[in-house]
Amino acid sequence: MPRGPLLARFFKLYDPPTATATRRYAIQSGNPTLKVFNPKTKHLQKERAAQNVELSRRVDYLKDEVATRLCERLLDIKRTFHNVLDLGANSCNIAHALTAPNPDPNLETPTSLPLATRISKLTCVETSDALLHRDADLPFNNELSIQREVIPNLEMLPYLPNTFDAILSSLSIHWVNDLPSLLSQVNTILKPDCPFIAAMFGGDTLFELRASLQLADMERRGGVSPHVSPLADVRDVGGLLTRAGFKMLTVDVEDIVVEFPDTFTLMEDLQAMGESNAILHRQMGPISRDVLLANEAIYRELHKEDRGRGIPATFRIIFMIGWKEGEGQAQPLPRGSGEVNLKDILGGNVNGTRGQ
Amino acid sequence: MSGKIRPIEKFARAVAQCSTETDIGVPQAASYGKCVVADYNAVYKDMCAKEFMKLKDCYLAAAKKR
Repeated sequence: MPRGPLLARFFKLYDPPTATATRRYAIQSGNPTLKVFNPKTKHLQKERAAQNVELSRRVDYLKDEVATRLCERLLDIKRTFHNVLDLGANSCNIAHALTAPNPDPNLETPTSLPLATRISKLTCVETSDALLHRDADLPFNNELSIQREVIPNLEMLPYLPNTFDAILSSLSIHWVNDLPSLLSQVNTILKPDCPFIAAMFGGDTLFELRASLQLADMERRGGVSPHVSPLADVRDVGGLLTRAGFKMLTVDVEDIVVEFPDTFTLMEDLQAMGESNAILHRQMGPISRDVLLANEAIYRELHKEDRGRGIPATFRIIFMIGWKEGEGQAQPLPRGSGEVNLKDILGGNVNGTRGQ
Repeated sequence: MSGKIRPIEKFARAVAQCSTETDIGVPQAASYGKCVVADYNAVYKDMCAKEFMKLKDCYLAAAKKR
């Protein structure tokens, strides 16, 4: 009997695992399998919304406003960018905002050049073809070199490492299932010492609608189905960026409250924006009339303003800036090393007005 | 799409009549809303069925008028 090989095979099978294993901290390895949103549904919603060009343009007020605020943050970076990526471009709202005249209203310098003059090439990627090319014929396209690219999935970026001088993203990455993976891809395709600037819907966005639809569902049907997406919280974003390897983080929040005549207008506008519900395990089909009727009454009762007949809807936008690590990059000073009291510089008035 | 009124718009218009009508006292929508909101931590099915039926009657009447 050939004993030798059999014994060898035995030992190969039962190789003691402790010999090579090193102990690590408990971190999530590989891709988490949790899926929240249905990318196919989202794609269809965007395509459908963009078919109605007129309506789709009319409801761009929110995306245009956020894109403008996002581009204001570019003013603080005194650089020229050769190759910029707009991740999840929607209808190229960022490109539109970049070409806006006089982006920096300042008494000392009466006119400032549009931000587009500092950008050589802007690549806009989006999953929806119709939405991306909706505004391809408008005059702002001539002021900036825009390359539009349709990619099948926003979570798999088809670019080489160290490609872009800046990556911008406005109101798109809240539909991404695997945000940690996307952020580390973004970090990889950035050149060293280059910024990622993004805006996304966060935690308390549409909390009024979320609450009143839940109450209406409870009272009418005795249970709830998710109608408003779960969203990342401000506190999570810092951790996510750090985990993806970004340095020198800035995260801040702005609330935009929009007044609508009634809940139906609110939901119609969301639909026209292509921002309707795309949760995987939602109840299919439209919300029943009874629930909608109940929702309208409850929303009005909970949130109506004293003056005016409209209802408010809050959009909480999280703005984040992260820098890819690079040589010669400015480093944050150690904690407690400050020698000047910020109160003296900014003024410690209760009203928040600036000191003299 | 243009020219035609979407069904949801018709619905919204009829519902609006029940949330703003004031000639008959408190609008039906408000009384239903108040009923739910009064105890919104412990809402159960058909908690405000009576108020809701009144609201629905109001909506149906408004929808018929058009």
